[in-house]
Amino acid sequence: MRSVSVIGIGETKIGRFPDKSLRELIQEAGTKAIDDAGIGREEVEALFMSNFNAQAFSGQGHLGPLAAEALGLGNIPTLRIEGACASGSLAFRQALHAVATGLYDVVLVGGVEKMTHQSTGPVTAGLAGAADIDLEAGVGATFPSIFAMIANRYFHEFGNVRHEMALCAVQNHENALLNPHAQLQKRITVEQVKNGVPIASPFTIFDCSLVSDGSAFVVLAATDLAKAVSRKRLVEVVGCGQAGDTLTLASKKSMTTFDATVLAARNAYAQAGLRPSQIDLAEVHDCFTITQIINSEDLGFFAKGAGAYALAEGKTALHGQIPINVSGGLKAKGHPIGATGLCQIYEIVTQLRGDGGARQLKKADIGMTHNIGGTAATCVVSIFRGR
Amino acid sequence: ERRGTIYTYSIVHSGTEAFQDKTPYVLAVVEVNRQKRMARVEGYTESTDIEIGMEVVFLAEDQMGNPIYVFA
Repeated sequence: MRSVSVIGIGETKIGRFPDKSLRELIQEAGTKAIDDAGIGREEVEALFMSNFNAQAFSGQGHLGPLAAEALGLGNIPTLRIEGACASGSLAFRQALHAVATGLYDVVLVGGVEKMTHQSTGPVTAGLAGAADIDLEAGVGATFPSIFAMIANRYFHEFGNVRHEMALCAVQNHENALLNPHAQLQKRITVEQVKNGVPIASPFTIFDCSLVSDGSAFVVLAATDLAKAVSRKRLVEVVGCGQAGDTLTLASKKSMTTFDATVLAARNAYAQAGLRPSQIDLAEVHDCFTITQIINSEDLGFFAKGAGAYALAEGKTALHGQIPINVSGGLKAKGHPIGATGLCQIYEIVTQLRGDGGARQLKKADIGMTHNIGGTAATCVVSIFRGR
Repeated sequence: ERRGTIYTYSIVHSGTEAFQDKTPYVLAVVEVNRQKRMARVEGYTESTDIEIGMEVVFLAEDQMGNPIYVFA
């Protein structure tokens, strides 16, 4: 397997764009990524396209050729990859392997989702398909209620961290204030989180990530080739692990440890030859506040049961011990499902290049993305190193 | 076995369209003979004090064959 690097990134602003089509979102983010890479469109050899549910939300399938046409990529091979909220990272991992094995030298990975033109009913129903439609959605479960059950079990095993969950939402909103691409650039308070509209106990609306439109693209190239063409700091992919778990919550060995996260991270750390303490920053999947806390433990940053208190002590804040979700995360930057994993990579590469503007970290040499699908039934952890 | 215990739960205030008219309702993972399964638990009122480990009793199956429980 040969070394692979990110040579181009592009992203739309994340938000509510009912008047923008899937094609327009793809054109904007894809063009930015190709321009950022400084390559011609004819140099892109394949397109790996990520999307969760455009058929349900927009009636549009077959997104590979749609994106290739929108970006003027000619007759290259394309495919569309789906793994719920982890779709973007799954597409990235497949593209990574295609270059690492020598099948291609330069590939484009894209993700897109468009949901906000739909009413809550179709969106909730569309999202429910990432859980078990018979055993979970069929008995009245929604994703907020599934993760709320995880939160209540966590309270039972490790103590009530309702206050710390609220702090998590507040922290991610603070970070989003510094991100011009973030959907919710709005400061919130702990009291607002706790007293928000109840969704599924213990969650209020402020514990939940956003319904978003948006697109993100990444250009990958063999590192040897990247050194010749890239004008910016090279960002090498030094580890990328994937693991799975049962689709249903009730079948999991534990509800307070995400086994897929533990295993994917273990794999990524081993590939990179790194330990958790060597990671400078991480974009961690925060579909709900409890999710970020549990994953911060399962990624090895904190001991089991200590993630919430570490957050409350400021260890994951913008200039803390291990800054988490400096972009604002799914909670405040937004969650355009098929693009989310690539939005995380966009942020890490931006930081490793030193282009983070007001939210730029002083030390950003090694970054991580962590992306789960469903109830952590799919997980991809990637580690990036600036060269 | 008609009796089970609540392994975890949530009181759902915003459900899918099919269940929205039932809100607020209790969704739980119920453990019966060490087997866990997600199910609704009926009989919730604002004065119900739900705890993990609380006993529930099988009430009926829904149209899909999923069990529905009621607080013991």
